[in-house]
Amino acid sequence: MREAPILVVGAGPAGASAAATIAEAGLPVLLIEQRDQLGGAIHRQPAAGNEEHVWRPARHRRNWAALTARLQASAERIEIRTETIFLGVDSEGRFLFDDRHEACVFARRPRAAIIAVGAIETIRPFPGWELPGVMTAGGAQVLLKETGRPPEGPILLAGGGPLLPALAAQLAKAGNPPVAVLERGRPWNAPAALARLALSWAPMSEAAAYAAALAASRVPYRCGAVVTQAEPDGDGLKVSIRVGETQEPLLVRHLLIHDGIAPNRTGIPLPDPDGAVPILLAGDGREALGADAAILDGRRAAMQVLARLGHAERGAPSDERGLQRARDFQATLARALQAEPIVPPPETLICRCEGRSHADLAALAPDASAREIRLMGRFGLGACQGRFCGPMIAALRGQPLPTASPPRWPLRPVSVAALARLTIDETE
Amino acid sequence: MKPTRFGPSLYGTNRFGMASSSPLHVAVIGTGIVGASAAHFLAAAGARVTLLDASGPAAGATGASDGAVSVASKRPGPMMDLARHARAFYVRCEQDGLFRGLFHRRSTFLVARTAIEADLVAQHGADLAAAGERVVEVDRAALLDRIPGLGASVCAALEIPDDGHALGYEITERLLATSRASIRRNAPVSEIVMRAGRACGVAVRNEFLPADAVLVAAGIGSAPLLGLGEILIPRKGQMAVTDRASVAGPAIDGHLMAASYLAAKRGIVRDNSHIGLVIDPLMTGQFLIGGSREDHRSDHSTDAATIAAILREALDLYPPLAARRVLRSFAGVRTASRDGLPIVGLHPHYAGVVIATGFEGDGICLGPFMGANAARLLLGERPEADLSALSPQRFARVEAHA
Amino acid sequence: MTSHFFWNGGPVAFRSGETIAAALLRAGITDLGRPSATPGGRVFCGIGACQGCVIAVAGAAPVEACLTPAREGLRLGPLPAIGAEHA
Ligand SMILES: Cc1cc2nc3c(=O)[nH]c(=O)nc-3n(C[C@H](O)[C@H](O)[C@H](O)COP(=O)(O)OP(=O)(O)OC[C@H]3O[C@@H](n4cnc5c(N)ncnc54)[C@H](O)[C@@H]3O)c2cc1C
Ligand SMILES: Cc1cc2nc3c(=O)[nH]c(=O)nc-3n(C[C@H](O)[C@H](O)[C@H](O)COP(=O)(O)OP(=O)(O)OC[C@H]3O[C@@H](n4cnc5c(N)ncnc54)[C@H](O)[C@@H]3O)c2cc1C
Ligand code: FES
Repeated sequence: MREAPILVVGAGPAGASAAATIAEAGLPVLLIEQRDQLGGAIHRQPAAGNEEHVWRPARHRRNWAALTARLQASAERIEIRTETIFLGVDSEGRFLFDDRHEACVFARRPRAAIIAVGAIETIRPFPGWELPGVMTAGGAQVLLKETGRPPEGPILLAGGGPLLPALAAQLAKAGNPPVAVLERGRPWNAPAALARLALSWAPMSEAAAYAAALAASRVPYRCGAVVTQAEPDGDGLKVSIRVGETQEPLLVRHLLIHDGIAPNRTGIPLPDPDGAVPILLAGDGREALGADAAILDGRRAAMQVLARLGHAERGAPSDERGLQRARDFQATLARALQAEPIVPPPETLICRCEGRSHADLAALAPDASAREIRLMGRFGLGACQGRFCGPMIAALRGQPLPTASPPRWPLRPVSVAALARLTIDETE
Repeated sequence: MKPTRFGPSLYGTNRFGMASSSPLHVAVIGTGIVGASAAHFLAAAGARVTLLDASGPAAGATGASDGAVSVASKRPGPMMDLARHARAFYVRCEQDGLFRGLFHRRSTFLVARTAIEADLVAQHGADLAAAGERVVEVDRAALLDRIPGLGASVCAALEIPDDGHALGYEITERLLATSRASIRRNAPVSEIVMRAGRACGVAVRNEFLPADAVLVAAGIGSAPLLGLGEILIPRKGQMAVTDRASVAGPAIDGHLMAASYLAAKRGIVRDNSHIGLVIDPLMTGQFLIGGSREDHRSDHSTDAATIAAILREALDLYPPLAARRVLRSFAGVRTASRDGLPIVGLHPHYAGVVIATGFEGDGICLGPFMGANAARLLLGERPEADLSALSPQRFARVEAHA
Repeated sequence: MTSHFFWNGGPVAFRSGETIAAALLRAGITDLGRPSATPGGRVFCGIGACQGCVIAVAGAAPVEACLTPAREGLRLGPLPAIGAEHA
């Protein structure tokens, strides 16, 4: 009988760090990644034939090089399955995977599992956010890294958070600086928070590099500005912008939006570090603390699994300190960029998959049950399974979109034919 | 047993001895399709109704089921006859506006893939015809015209043209939205409170809620309330929902019901791993594919082996499903009685208590009609059909003999 | 070397290793069809989460354009049309 592996889902910084740590301790690892390459959201690699690398800070390049070297060094203990999507855990405790390459679903029983599937961008809805031409900033960035080329035509970045200037700088360096970056917060109104941020060396030097790139390309960075609406306009979009009391229109080809990130937990098994098959979450999928923290968090989860299986001491205190620093930094950043919530007009789409609006949401009883919200409201019932409308609903209703308990599989839609070809490996 | 115990209804006092000037107050336990229907028709008749649900509307089987309003699938005998009444009730409610837009006529195709299955389908067709149902024989060529892409193994089929479809939770929502019944969510009833041999209310946690009469329509939750643990069993069903195969309206022109489903319904196969296959084209363009019948399972989790087995069967019957994705899997819990028939009627011992449960895999079809009839029983009126085969009395007798 | 897949019957060039989404966007195709009363398809999150970029594949189940590497000769189109035509 083969030795059952430790499952690691997601090959971003957290998953790569966890996989390397486990393999270095001598245990077999099954590393599952939905893409054809490792790297995750931040280290998305250029497509194979593409020479045009997108500019990124040296620290991040070094971190990823170190992680890939470690994975390489332990390669014989790490089974990597790319183009394979983790579908969740069924009632019999089987971990299920959709192998897109082989077009079949397979089931495995790992000894332990570390789930490091990263974050999802949060979106503040406004009329028109569902239109073609509107993308998340992170999504656009992932594509930019893949192709090395920015989208053509005027680009507007809007929302809140540090990803916006980062992406703006990368677009500028790649040859198409955005027409503007709209940040809905007003950091200058939170000088104490700004002062604290200034003490964080690595992220602040990164921010300074972005700021320099923006200044060089004369990209305006406007605070307290929000998008109130987008409408189709020929090949592009007519975007309405509100700054204070004034409204102004802007014609663009692409509107890239982003209002922060949150752990991607939809359908993900609940953490169970002490279960018969220990399940841990790691990285942004556990707590959205950013790329540096994700590496620490992957190692922390790996050490915890190793300790549980009798292989090592519990995690290094320096990791915990690093995570706490990242937590403080994120909290301070959130304070600096905080903005009043905006209630979108009734016609605003909340659920894109099923075409449900804010008015439909408001029509539900205030004490509506999970079933009612899902079945009668048809919220969280579509293909994205509530990943995007969930946080919006939580913000608008002041309570989270109820999730199935235990979490349901498949956590992502899966081909009927592939699932029908299920192979079950019960030998492990 | 004959329904002979009905008192004066419309004038004077109702059967619970309440003066008609103060409206009868009924506590309805369970906001599934049955409770919602009873509440709707009670309120329409002037009763004061309080619905109590441990969770909320459609939290039970009603929100985790398919919605075949089908005579084609019923066991011969009282179920087939009552299903014809129940389906006619849907048609009436759709015509008078209550179910407008929610109930859709569509054919059921009973399909066979082997000679043995063909015999079973033929037998079932004969039973349906004997019950007065329209049954049309369709050969393979004609069937392919109606359902392009149908699997090569399909060798015989019958069309039952007068069936229909409705989603249980949509019907429930409509019934509630169009009635003045008040709903209490998160209100698990722990006890029916009796005084001098008759119901005087219910207990919700530590609270007493007075009522003149109580309807127990709590699905599988009826068992602990009534001490029916020996008589009602949970029967889990797993299903899968696909993405949209059509832009608007059902993707195929009828509901595909395999002979394996009939075998399960007619009690020929009783096996927790048996798949009684149905492929149901929903109004959204999605497919609902089921399902398993797992006795004594009341959890809502699904397992990959069962769902994969369902999908293999489904692909064999209808290969174009290979172009679809499964969006979710889910499980619902049917409430089955020991003899396979629902339990509807006056409680054999407790005055003021009416029971309506045990609808197994047929409660979407039967629910509105049975709820309306439970309301009639509570109001002291005669039911619209002969419900004697469903009377709770049958188990009281068995218990007494035992 | 460039290869091609087909969107709505028309050829779209891609470079090896690229996702379908990247190739479509480079070809200026942002609107991935309006299959029903629900909003049309478009690439949005780029990481497989929003399902907005799901497209039909002839002879197979739909896929996320943002996750799926482009391959030579794939016949693609808006949901659900092409997927429904089955060999
Ligand atoms: C779109 C996006 C872009 C971002 N860009 C940046 C950036 O440029 N700079 C920055 O500092 N931070 C960025 N972030 C924040 C980023 O999440 C973290 O900095 C860091 O990448 C977190 O690492 P992680 O390993 O926890 O998650 P990720 O890096 O997100 O890695 C998760 C991995 O899991 C895979 N995965 C997800 N679900 C499944 C599944 N079901 N089955 C199999 N595999 C799966 C993903 O493909 C991914 O490779 C971005 C976030 C998002 C969502
Ligand atoms: C997989 C599956 C497929 C099906 N397909 C079909 C079909 O195609 N056609 C068809 O006709 N039927 C079908 N059915 C059957 C149908 O769903 C049920 O028969 C019907 O929904 C039963 O309705 P109900 O109102 O009796 O019970 P339920 O819907 O179960 O409602 C009972 C309610 O009572 C509440 N409750 C329970 N205990 C208490 C308590 N102590 N206090 C307060 N509230 C309580 C519950 O929360 C629940 O909301 C299917 C069922 C399943 C599981
Ligand atoms: S763009 Fe969101 S899933 Fe592809």
